[in-house]
Amino acid sequence: MSATTLSLPARTRSTTLLRRRRLIDHLATVLCGLATLIVLAVLVSILWTLLADGLPGLRWRTLTHVTAPPGAGGGLLNPIIGSLIQVVLATAIGTPVGMLAGIYLAEYGAGSAFAGAVRFVSDMLLSAPSILVGLFVYLILVEPVGHFSGYAGVAALVVLVIPIVVRTTEDMLRLVPISMREAAAALGCPHWKVVLLICVRAARAGLLTGVLLALARISGETAPLLFTSLGNLNWSVSLNQPMASLPVTIYQYAGSAYGDWVQLAWTAALLITAGVLLINIVARVGLARQDSR
Amino acid sequence: MNASNGPMPRPPVQAPPLVTPLQTAPASGTVHPTMISVRGLDFHYGSAQALKDISIDLPARQVTGMIGPSGCGKSTLLRVLNRMYDLYPGQRATGEVLLDGENIIGPHVDSNQLRSRIGMVFQKPTPFPMSIADNIAFGVRLHERLSRADMADRIEDALRRVALWNEVKDRLKSGATALSGGQQQRLCIARTIATRPEVILLDEPTSALDPISTARVEELLDELKRDFTIAIVTHNLQQAARCADRVAFFFMGELVEVDSADRIFTAPKQKRTQDYITGRFG
Repeated sequence: MSATTLSLPARTRSTTLLRRRRLIDHLATVLCGLATLIVLAVLVSILWTLLADGLPGLRWRTLTHVTAPPGAGGGLLNPIIGSLIQVVLATAIGTPVGMLAGIYLAEYGAGSAFAGAVRFVSDMLLSAPSILVGLFVYLILVEPVGHFSGYAGVAALVVLVIPIVVRTTEDMLRLVPISMREAAAALGCPHWKVVLLICVRAARAGLLTGVLLALARISGETAPLLFTSLGNLNWSVSLNQPMASLPVTIYQYAGSAYGDWVQLAWTAALLITAGVLLINIVARVGLARQDSR
Repeated sequence: MNASNGPMPRPPVQAPPLVTPLQTAPASGTVHPTMISVRGLDFHYGSAQALKDISIDLPARQVTGMIGPSGCGKSTLLRVLNRMYDLYPGQRATGEVLLDGENIIGPHVDSNQLRSRIGMVFQKPTPFPMSIADNIAFGVRLHERLSRADMADRIEDALRRVALWNEVKDRLKSGATALSGGQQQRLCIARTIATRPEVILLDEPTSALDPISTARVEELLDELKRDFTIAIVTHNLQQAARCADRVAFFFMGELVEVDSADRIFTAPKQKRTQDYITGRFG
């Protein structure tokens, strides 16, 4: 076998080999391009539908009036505010807990059995169906109290935020090179300062990504809210009462038989998407500005 | 026991004070008193022994070069001297490393305080993700409280000493990662000397640098040894010959020979040293 290869003139062999390589290279490039196109097509189609069907319902009135019976010209004010309250609170509570747990896993617990167990449980939560989380919170925060509440909605969303932030925090901290930790330690820096002032700082873009991912995820979650904050057709900002939210409103309106409700459902979907996009852009620009300082 | 406590910050222990006046009049009466004295040092990575019964003196305000093939233990010795091995469970050192008469690998030594006296520069430049000025201020702030003006002076002094001041004085507030590799390494040296250590350990500090940057760092060593005791690990024998006053040759975890650079490179006593410096193995 090797004898035949060797007997080929060296140049012939290299040109056929090169031609094959070039062909495979082109093929791979085309396949990658196609895959990208497919993903982009889906994305653009979703965005296009959202804009086409959502924009017509986006009026000042939609943002300033609470939900009303079909035909009464209601808006989305209570779901917008309800979503804002629940999402912001859940992110504010879940982020520090998740980050501290992620820091523990990456910096302190490495290799210990306890850390392994925490990581396993957190990853299970990460992939748990969100409706299960809703049912869980229903059993401990809704049923004993006897009514649905904003608190329960926030709690369910917190349970979703934590594992996302844990995972990204741990992954991002692990990307910080050991040489940087050693360099800080070699200056006489205690471990907690190495973690807080060097590692977290070096990984902050990644940590922010984790928080934004979590925020985007819970902004659109419906299932965990159905059993917890339920939704509220009247104006209410009390966390002790059932609370409206955009995803639950979409769920209720989109399947209804009333044209104006369906229109509002599209607009609510557009609002969630635009809101998440806006927060992402603001956070990225803020970080970039801080970095360039 | 305490030496393998892992990466947790060590609690303050009642220990004899580390900062005692530097001994300036040694018993031997040589020009360069001994700064660090290593006696019968063994070192283990888990069950593998990396250093065997090492005894060596680092003379004050001299450059001690450490040479030897990869895996011979020279970097390990450096990492014992500032207790970097403390960061990793399973690594342990036994024997004596005396600094001002105190065994610094003993159980009651605060390794962070020790590292403020024995600084280290690594193979790869490791600027922190912050501005040039903050890179230097970071180390200083760990051990001292300085006024804004004093800190500015300290930063300028450190940058001037490594000949970086003129290159960066207009962009002290901009990120350190934008500097070139050679500039980053000089920044790391500046960061180390800004904390005013007594000893500086350099672990192959120029192996990632181009020849011009390497020459600058080597010139720097000559300046720095007026104030600091220096130990440098290098794979570059010419560098050891150029920079070091004394050279130690390590082989398979043993210290084969230590002598003045002249004698090591012209008339080594040991055959293994002779073979290594003439390129017959390693």
